[in-house]
Amino acid sequence: MSMSGWRKTFIGACGLALLAAPVGAAEMLEKPDGYGNRPITIIVPYGAGGGSDQLARAWADAAEKVAGLTFQIVNKPGGGGTAAIPDFMLARPDGYTIMEAIDDAVSAYASGDIKENPAEDWSPICMTQITFNQIYIRSDDDRFSDWKSFVAYAEAHPGEVTVANLGKVQSMERITMAQLEESTGLKFKQIPFDKPAERYGALIGGHVDALFEQPGDVRNFIQADQMKPILTFLDERPELFADTPTSKEVGADFDPLTRFRGFYVKSGVPEDRIAFLENVCKAAFETEAYTKFNKDKYMDVIDSFRDHKGAVALINNSAKAYKEMYEKLGL
Amino acid sequence: MESFLDGTLALFGSYHATLIFFLGLVGGMLFGAIPGVNMLTLGAVLLPFTASMNPTEAVMMFSVIYCAGVFGGAITAILFNIPGAPENAPTCFDGYPMTQKGQAGKAIGAAVMCSAIGGVASAILMMTATGAIASFAIRAFGPQEIFALIFFGLAVSASIGAQTLWKGWLSVFVGLLIATIGTDPVAGIPRFNEGSIFGWEYSSYYLSAGIHFIPLILGFFAVSEVLSQSVSISKGTRERPKASLDFPSLSEFWQVRFTMIRSIFIGFFSGVLPGIGATLAAFLGYSQAQRWSKNRANFGKGELEGVVASETANNAATGAAMIPLLALGLPGGALTAMIMGIFQIHGMEPGPLIFINSHDLVWVTFAAMFWANVAIIGLGWLQTKTVVHILRIPFRWLAPGILILATVGAYGLRNLMIDVWVMFIAGVLGYLIKTTGYSAAGIVLGLILGELGESAFAKSMQLMDFDPMGFFNRPIAAVLLGLGILAIITSVISEIRGTEVQKALMD
Repeated sequence: MSMSGWRKTFIGACGLALLAAPVGAAEMLEKPDGYGNRPITIIVPYGAGGGSDQLARAWADAAEKVAGLTFQIVNKPGGGGTAAIPDFMLARPDGYTIMEAIDDAVSAYASGDIKENPAEDWSPICMTQITFNQIYIRSDDDRFSDWKSFVAYAEAHPGEVTVANLGKVQSMERITMAQLEESTGLKFKQIPFDKPAERYGALIGGHVDALFEQPGDVRNFIQADQMKPILTFLDERPELFADTPTSKEVGADFDPLTRFRGFYVKSGVPEDRIAFLENVCKAAFETEAYTKFNKDKYMDVIDSFRDHKGAVALINNSAKAYKEMYEKLGL
Repeated sequence: MESFLDGTLALFGSYHATLIFFLGLVGGMLFGAIPGVNMLTLGAVLLPFTASMNPTEAVMMFSVIYCAGVFGGAITAILFNIPGAPENAPTCFDGYPMTQKGQAGKAIGAAVMCSAIGGVASAILMMTATGAIASFAIRAFGPQEIFALIFFGLAVSASIGAQTLWKGWLSVFVGLLIATIGTDPVAGIPRFNEGSIFGWEYSSYYLSAGIHFIPLILGFFAVSEVLSQSVSISKGTRERPKASLDFPSLSEFWQVRFTMIRSIFIGFFSGVLPGIGATLAAFLGYSQAQRWSKNRANFGKGELEGVVASETANNAATGAAMIPLLALGLPGGALTAMIMGIFQIHGMEPGPLIFINSHDLVWVTFAAMFWANVAIIGLGWLQTKTVVHILRIPFRWLAPGILILATVGAYGLRNLMIDVWVMFIAGVLGYLIKTTGYSAAGIVLGLILGELGESAFAKSMQLMDFDPMGFFNRPIAAVLLGLGILAIITSVISEIRGTEVQKALMD
C-alpha cells in the first residue's frame, strides 16, 4: 500500500472513530476540565498477583470503561504497605496519583507506625471491598466440629489451642482475636504467619488447630470442604454462612472490625476531581464485570461499597476502636 | 502414561494451543531474561485476559511461562553477573567467573541442559505422585522442620567464596544482620527504620520494606564488576574474555551427575513446600553442592558444578510447585497464586477433586510443562550460539548497558528507590570486599536464609512454648539440625587442621 493510501485509510479510520465516539461518550462520565487526558497511576502497596493487586486491576479495568480514563498500575510492595507511602506523598496533588490502601494503613496510623492519617492527609475516593473475619478449622478434625466443641476443647486444654494469624500485634486480625479472648475468657496461642500460603498450609497440614481469616481468601478450601468456618465476626449471620454462629451470639459483645480495601488521593486534590473520581468509582463498582469480580471473592456478602463520606466515617470509627483497644491491651 | 499422551495430543493437536504454548515459552524466557521485569510482570499483565480464554489453555500458558521464566534469567546471570530473576541469583556465583575464564558457552550450555533436566525430572515426579507427595509434605514439614532445613543451609554457607572459614562466617553473619532491617516477621515491629548514625538522624518508611537480596546481588556482582573492570582497563591490565561457544561435554555432565540428582530432590522438595520455592531451592542446591563437592575450593571461582546445582534446582522446583496448588489449592508463590486466580475466574476450585473433575486440564498442563522443559534445550541452544557474541563488544560500550540493566532491575523489583541506592552502595562495598577475602555470596546467603529462618524460628518457638529442645522431639527437624551441627563441627576441624598444615609447610 502506498503512503498516501495508508494515510487515507488512517484518516478514514479516525473519522469513523470520531463518528462512533459521541455514542460511546454519551454513556461515559464527563471529565472535569483538563483532567483525565493522561494516564493515572495507581500505586498498589502490595505485590503483583495478590488480592490487593487483583482488586486494583479489576477496578481499573471497570473504571477505564465507564470513564474513558487510562490507568497504570505500579506495585510498590514492602513493610506491610508502608514502603509505598513516601512515593505517594511526593506526588503532586493533581489527582493523577491514586493509592490503594487497606485497613492496615488505619491501624498503622492508630498505633503511630505512620504519621499520615488516612482520613485527613489522604482523601478516600471510595471503598470497593469490605469483608469480615471468621475462624476456621479443618473439616476432618476429630477433636471438634463446631464452635461449641471447639470451646469445650479449648477449656479442657487451656492455653494450648493454636490459631494461625498475622504477625503484627496492632493489626485488625490480632485486635479482633484479643477482643474475642477478652470477652469470652478463652486463651489461645496465636502463631504469626506472614505469608498466606504458609498460614493455610499450617492449618491443613495440622501444625495449628485453627485459622483466623477472611472468607474470600479461603473460598476454595471452604468449597473443597478442607476447611470450615466455626465463628463469624459479625452482629448478624450472613445468608451464605447461615449455619455459623456470630461472635455476638457466643457472648462476644463488641463491634466487630472489618477488612476494607479502597482508593485514595492525597488531600489537596481539587474538589471537582475528587467528586469526579468518586462518581467513576461508583460507576465502576456497579459494572457487571466488577460485580462478578467481587462476588467471586465473597465480597458481596456484606455491603462492600462506601463513597468518600462513608469511607471517612469507616476509617475514623476503626481508628477510634483501634486506639481504645491499644489502650486496653497496653500496646 | 495414556493420560500424558492424551495431554500431549490435546496440546499439539490444535494450532491455537500450540501457538499459545510457544508464545508462553518465548514470553516467559524473554521476561525472565530481562532484569527489572520478570515472569510475574508478564503474568500480572496477562491475568485479566485469561477470563476470556479457555481455562485449559490459560492454565497451560501460565505453567509454560513459569518453566521458561525460571530458566530465562540464567543467561544474563552468566554473561553479566545480573540475575534476570531471583531464582537465578546463585547462578552468578560460578557462571560469571566461567565467562571471565572464556567458558561462557560452557556455562550457558550447562544452564540450558540442567534447567531442562531438572524441569523434566520434576515434571515426571509430579505426574507420578502428585496427591500423595503434597499431603505428605504439608503434614511432615511444619515451621520447626523449615527452620531446621534453613539452619542446615546456613551451616554450609560459610564456606562459599571466602578465603578462610572465619571470614566466611563473618560474611554470613553480616548477611543475617542485614536481614533484621525492616518490619520483623513476628510482631510487625519496624526495625532500623529510624534512628541515628554518628549523630545523623534518619527516618524512612522505605526501610520498613527491608533490604532485598536482589539489589544486593546486583551491587555486589554487576556494579562492583563494572568498577573493577574499569580499574583494570585504566591500568591496562584487562584481558577481554574469549567468547567460546563450547558446549559442556558428556563426560563433564557425567562428573556432576550426583550434584544434578541432589539438586533435583532439593528443588523438588523446596517447590512442594509453601513459602520456600524456586529461589531458596537454587541457593540450597548450590550450598549443598559445594558441601559435597570434591572441587570445593573452586566454588565461586568458575566451577561448572555450581551452575549445574543452581539451575537444576530452580527448574526442579517448578513442577513441584504445581503439586500443592493442584492437590491442595495451596499456591506456594506469586505465579502459582495467579494460576489459582485463573481457576477461580473460571469457577473451578483446585483441590483433591481436580484430578477427577478436570482431568483433561491437569494433563494438558502436565504435558505442557514437560514439553516446555524439553523445548528449553532447543531455544537455549540457539541462545548459546547467538547471545554469547555480545561478549565481543568492547567493555567500554558494554559497561553503561550493564549499569542501566542493573539499575532497571533494582528499581523494577519493587518500584522503590531504596533498592537502587542499596545496589550502588553494595556495588562500592562489593568492590572493596573482593580484595579482603570476605564473601559477597556469603552475605547474600545470610540475608536470604536469615529472613526465612527468623520467621520459621519465631513460629516454632511459639508453637513449642519457647522450649528449644522441642526441635529434637520431631524426627525430621532433629535429623536436619543434627546434620547442620555436624557440618559446622567438621568444617571447623578441617579448617583448623588445614591452617596448621599450611603453617607447617611455611616453616
